[in-house]
Amino acid sequence: MTMASSEKPAPAGRLPAVLLRLLASLERSWPFVAFFVGLFLCWEWSVDLFNIPAYILPKPSEIVAKGWADVPRLVDYFWITGMETFVGYFLAIAVGLPIGLAIAFSPLLRRTIYPFFVSLEMVPKIAFAPLFISWLGFGMLPKVIIVVLVCFFPVALNSIHAFGSLSDELTRFCRSTGAGVWRTFWKVRLPAALPQCFVGFKYAAVNATVGATIAEFIGSDQGLGFYIQIVTGNMRPDLAFAGIFFLTVLGLLLFGLVTLAEHLLIPWHISVRRH
Amino acid sequence: MAATIELRSLAKTYGFGPQAVYAFGPADLTIPSGSFVSLLGPSGCGKSTLLLMIAGLLAPSRGEILVGGKQVSGPRTDIGIMFQDNTLVPWRTVEGNVALQLELRGQKPSAHAGRINELLRSVQLEDFAKRRPHELSGGMQQRAAFCQALVHEPDTLLLDEPLGKLDAMTREGIRADLQTLWMKRKPTVVFVTHSIEEAVQLSSTVCVITPRPGRIECAIDIDLPWPRDLDVKSTPEFTDHVHRIQEIFRDYGVI
Ligand SMILES: Nc1ncnc2c1ncn2[C@@H]1O[C@H](COP(=O)(O)OP(=O)(O)O)[C@@H](O)[C@H]1O
Ligand SMILES: [Mg+2]
Repeated sequence: MTMASSEKPAPAGRLPAVLLRLLASLERSWPFVAFFVGLFLCWEWSVDLFNIPAYILPKPSEIVAKGWADVPRLVDYFWITGMETFVGYFLAIAVGLPIGLAIAFSPLLRRTIYPFFVSLEMVPKIAFAPLFISWLGFGMLPKVIIVVLVCFFPVALNSIHAFGSLSDELTRFCRSTGAGVWRTFWKVRLPAALPQCFVGFKYAAVNATVGATIAEFIGSDQGLGFYIQIVTGNMRPDLAFAGIFFLTVLGLLLFGLVTLAEHLLIPWHISVRRH
Repeated sequence: MAATIELRSLAKTYGFGPQAVYAFGPADLTIPSGSFVSLLGPSGCGKSTLLLMIAGLLAPSRGEILVGGKQVSGPRTDIGIMFQDNTLVPWRTVEGNVALQLELRGQKPSAHAGRINELLRSVQLEDFAKRRPHELSGGMQQRAAFCQALVHEPDTLLLDEPLGKLDAMTREGIRADLQTLWMKRKPTVVFVTHSIEEAVQLSSTVCVITPRPGRIECAIDIDLPWPRDLDVKSTPEFTDHVHRIQEIFRDYGVI
């Protein structure tokens, strides 16, 4: 469709292709947009209707106006929390993926570290946050470590699962070709494992901002978590909501990045094809 | 030329102690070079087990397999094998899946592009070379898997129910393809099936395998003329063979 329109000029009286595509995507997403707009309108009106004081629940219009005035500080903190989240997240992948790989291929590690990891999975990692902060202070390092801790297990456990579950048929097929370990790994095991790895990456992405935020709640002097805690203490829920909005943007950004990588790396997988 | 395959008191038991499953054998069989041997038996009688042992992918519990007089002790790389579930990978196109066999063997697929195309053309998949497996019907997937098992030109083919999940019409078409290929190149084919008609139509020898633990009840030579098309199925010789095999399974209470 786009090719046809670039080859010959659009007939007069018809909208340009870009606008048409925008309209098409709007047509698909309007129920979602309408739902959100409706939700915020309800919120706006019910605050007036039920006379809810602004220090309990501010109106969305209020949040936007007050938040806008505080944008410089919010953006600063966005970078700080964003840094903690991204660094922690990618460190978790950089460590978790190789460890998962090692455990999947080593019978010894499978019998020692793997059960240990599985039992650690049950421990709420965030409970370690106060300890790390008491050990390492208020800086960014303990936050990064907590994000790593929160993201590491989903990444590692899904990688173990991913690399350990090649079908019997494919394993035997590879053996019948006489291919060595490395060739089998690059041509079959790695691509076959990627979809399950991404399950872990996505789960970790969702949890990364949670980890950073809670770590900041517990002890910090900067970042969006810190901001939300302070403004809430000052009876400024409008600013708290603005902080939450920025955190949401951060979460969406990370998740969007992982989804983009997924589309680039495993476009053939059913979870990607469906979209 | 492929070597003769000999099974000598070959048996397989899975597991140990009280959980052991006595899956196959003991059995003796000689598969001459260039023959088309069917392993015919009810589900669970150890056909796949036997095929995996012949491929060297599963160690026998007892007995041995000799290929050209030499004992099989590890995976054989001189064979083409089609497993019960196909080994097409979703991240490669049909063409790429066929090439995977060569790449895993350390060969450059670009050097064999002509052969890949020719193979795909021979099973009417040339228009689907750039499609991924999920865009193909079950029958087309099986044909693609067939090309994957053949592309390195093995002279022994091990096929585990390659037509098992297909509808009757598609089966007929692929049977014809398989027969044509066998007549042209004369590889040794070991063909697993649970269809009596299919076995009689395609094989030079049908091995009738009893219910678990599978033993080779008898090996019946089918000396009908080739090629065996649909008309052969209505000849008295064909129906005689089918009836004789049906009798055996009836005696075992399978049908
Ligand atoms: N990996 C395995 N572990 C334990 N038992 C198995 C295994 N594979 C097959 N069996 C058993 O061995 C028997 C023969 O299986 P199989 O060779 O797959 O039969 P067929 O291919 O004739 O249907 C079956 O009873 C099955 O349950
Ligand atoms: Mg089977």
